[in-house]
Amino acid sequence: MSTSIQVKNLSKTYEYFKKEAGLTGSLKSLFWREKLYNEALKGISFKIDEGELIGFLGPNGAGKTTTLKILSGILYPTSGEAVVLGYVPWKRSPEYQRQFSIVMGQKNQLWWDLPAQESFQLNKEIYEIDTKTYRNNLDELIELFEIKDILDIPVRKLSMGQRMKCELSAALLHSPRVLFLDEPTIGLDIISQEKIRHYLSEYNKIKKTTVLLTSHYMRDVERLCGRVIVINNGIIVYDGSVQDLMNTYGKHKIIRLRFSKEYTENGLAKYGEILERDGLCVVLKTGKEDIAASTARILNELPVEDLSVEEIEIEEVIKKIFTG
Amino acid sequence: MKKYITLFHINWQNSLQYRFSLIVYIFGYSLYIGVLLYLWSAIYSEGQTVGNYTLSELTTYYLLQLMINSVIFSYVSWDVIENIKDGYFSNFLIKPIDYYFYWFTVNLSGKILEGLFIIIAVGIISIFFRGHLTFPGTSAALIYFLISVILGIVLSFEMDFCVGMITFWLTQVRTFKFMLQTIILFFAGAMLPLDLFPDFLVRISDFLPFRYLVYFPVSIYLGKINNPWPSFAILIVWILVFYGISRVLLLRGIKRYEAVGI
Amino acid sequence: MKQLAYNIFRKIKRYLHLYRVFLSQNLKEDMIYRSNFITLAVMDIGFVSVSVILFKIIFTHVTSIAGWTFHQSVILIGSVGIIREMAYLTFRRGFLELGNHIRKGTFDTFMVRPMAPNIHLAFRHISISESFGEAITGVVLVIYGILHLNNWTWVSIPLYIIFLLNSLFVYYGFSLLINSIVFWVIKTQELNTIVYFFMETSRYPGDIYRGVGKFIFTFIIPIGIIATVPASVLTGRTSWSSALIALFVGISFLTTGILVWRKSIEHYSSASG
Repeated sequence: MSTSIQVKNLSKTYEYFKKEAGLTGSLKSLFWREKLYNEALKGISFKIDEGELIGFLGPNGAGKTTTLKILSGILYPTSGEAVVLGYVPWKRSPEYQRQFSIVMGQKNQLWWDLPAQESFQLNKEIYEIDTKTYRNNLDELIELFEIKDILDIPVRKLSMGQRMKCELSAALLHSPRVLFLDEPTIGLDIISQEKIRHYLSEYNKIKKTTVLLTSHYMRDVERLCGRVIVINNGIIVYDGSVQDLMNTYGKHKIIRLRFSKEYTENGLAKYGEILERDGLCVVLKTGKEDIAASTARILNELPVEDLSVEEIEIEEVIKKIFTG
Repeated sequence: MKKYITLFHINWQNSLQYRFSLIVYIFGYSLYIGVLLYLWSAIYSEGQTVGNYTLSELTTYYLLQLMINSVIFSYVSWDVIENIKDGYFSNFLIKPIDYYFYWFTVNLSGKILEGLFIIIAVGIISIFFRGHLTFPGTSAALIYFLISVILGIVLSFEMDFCVGMITFWLTQVRTFKFMLQTIILFFAGAMLPLDLFPDFLVRISDFLPFRYLVYFPVSIYLGKINNPWPSFAILIVWILVFYGISRVLLLRGIKRYEAVGI
Repeated sequence: MKQLAYNIFRKIKRYLHLYRVFLSQNLKEDMIYRSNFITLAVMDIGFVSVSVILFKIIFTHVTSIAGWTFHQSVILIGSVGIIREMAYLTFRRGFLELGNHIRKGTFDTFMVRPMAPNIHLAFRHISISESFGEAITGVVLVIYGILHLNNWTWVSIPLYIIFLLNSLFVYYGFSLLINSIVFWVIKTQELNTIVYFFMETSRYPGDIYRGVGKFIFTFIIPIGIIATVPASVLTGRTSWSSALIALFVGISFLTTGILVWRKSIEHYSSASG
């Protein structure tokens, strides 16, 4: 299998100016402003094979999006190397641009006031797709994403989920060999999220497109990717199979409790590890396999007013990776 | 009173954030005035004269106009329009602050800051044209000039505030404002001194308040008006009239805003 | 050599084709907001009229400005209008929207498509309505001016059009240079105020500038060329030297504009969210 993406010691430092408070501060900044630096990427390296579907996981501001933007030629790196499909991304050669796509969950690339169909047509011309291929690809995508009925509605009138399906279709029309997805499920409801995940895994299976996807939802990655790269503070902290990551760090769940009256007994520890305790509220951690048993017991035996079960947050996982 | 002083301060800080736009604007407008000065120099170098102006009087006229455009002309209505359109106006209905004096303070604080910038800009341009500048003959003329500038700031604000109030009734208010602005600049004497206009236009401008914004203060400075007191009296009447109009429009606007929303 | 010529030809053909496709998309978009079409036109006509009136008033006091008669000056004003509409039909509104694209981070799209970002930005925002009124008045003024000239020949028409295009290059190069600043100093939507004044002041004949001013307003801020040279060509006032200088300025502004712009977008720091 050939290498699709190769990244070596990639670094990116953003420059910005310090904002001083107060009137004197503002006056001073007229003439002199202190320059500050933010190291978004601190020399990361990784390799991705053709056809892989890889998850890029990390908290906000970890450097996920920066990496994607460098790989698609939007940003210039401060130092380091990257080769995608044999091209250096930031040279932005049209040959490279015709072979990849980037979709960003929070940025709209379709024409807002026109139906999605019009943006598709425009992409056909921009990417110089011949009419026959265009028809075939479009039919395929319409079927896969089930967007037949929304093609003629102005994009601004679509729901978030519908819009994301159209964004993805627009990005896939020219059959890119590499697809970058930045938080494709952000802001979507649970059902739409599931659907988008389903489409993506289907597409990857059929087309063997290399997909690099960032997310801060554990679910996205767990569901879709064989391999995951976890990044935090501009450093890769984990690169390996999702299975291993989940086995090691994801085998717990969090239970949040609120009692109806003060509960002072010290027997709580038998239901799980106590993470926090603040008056009427308690946060417990328990093994994934005995979550059902634990909640049942808690509801039966304790004066509980409210109970919720949550996945361990990605921040937690990363913290654990760091502390070992 | 204290709240308006605080507002004055905060607005300064706020305006400083936009220093780059301010510099850009001053640069652009200075360019415009610079070109006009070349225009007049070219005309005079061919031995022609324009009305009863000497070249240095015209040069001074346009440099002062550059200054006045920043110091006197109020542009807060852009913000007032924005403010009413996006519904932020509702916040004022529930706060113990007077909407008219709020914008009066914002305008005044902005004008003083801009004034500092523009004086530097005019100073630099003056170096290039130092051979062609006129200064007031008497100290009285200078004092009268300053009084007319202060009264001009007030009048310009009131008129601009009224334009902002139109937002309550008219949706295309920005287009309207653009057109009105051109008419005001024209009849204020910002583009050409009014006494160069043909007679019928001069007569029209006599009946309009706009001449007090540019033509009147500059003429005082150039010593073309010896007894400004009658004009001051008329100017003050205009100020009172526009204060009245501002108040009526604000009151009715609020009623309309509460009744139908915008 | 032959290969190079073929490539250039192919590239031009491709962009002309893309222009047509984008134009139709922009028209569809415009249809949705057509209500302000007439207001914009009326406003433009109003603004141009004020310029003409001002010139008319000046000419009640003088017989010529740096050798330009009233009717020749009318051609100057008209030419500015035509150049402005040409700019709106190509690149102008793209630059007006650039600030928004940078602030919201949507400029990303222009960076990843197989199209030059500056051309994509321009084609994305082709606008017919914005200075349509000014273009119409422009044409009317130029025709009116021509009818009052006595030394005018048909040959000057194609030359006039060539030099209008040259001025469009100057205008485009200047806009690229000014707007490149956006990538270094973020949060500046007022840059195009400079470009606005640039065109406003270009309706005065370039012959009024002397000494340092002549140099500055020819080579650095070329407002002495934009309208003056095409109008000179049409009115038979031009000399070979000034025509050549204009072509030189046109080519150098276009090339430096594109080079500086290309260098500057390396500084694009895509905003997230």
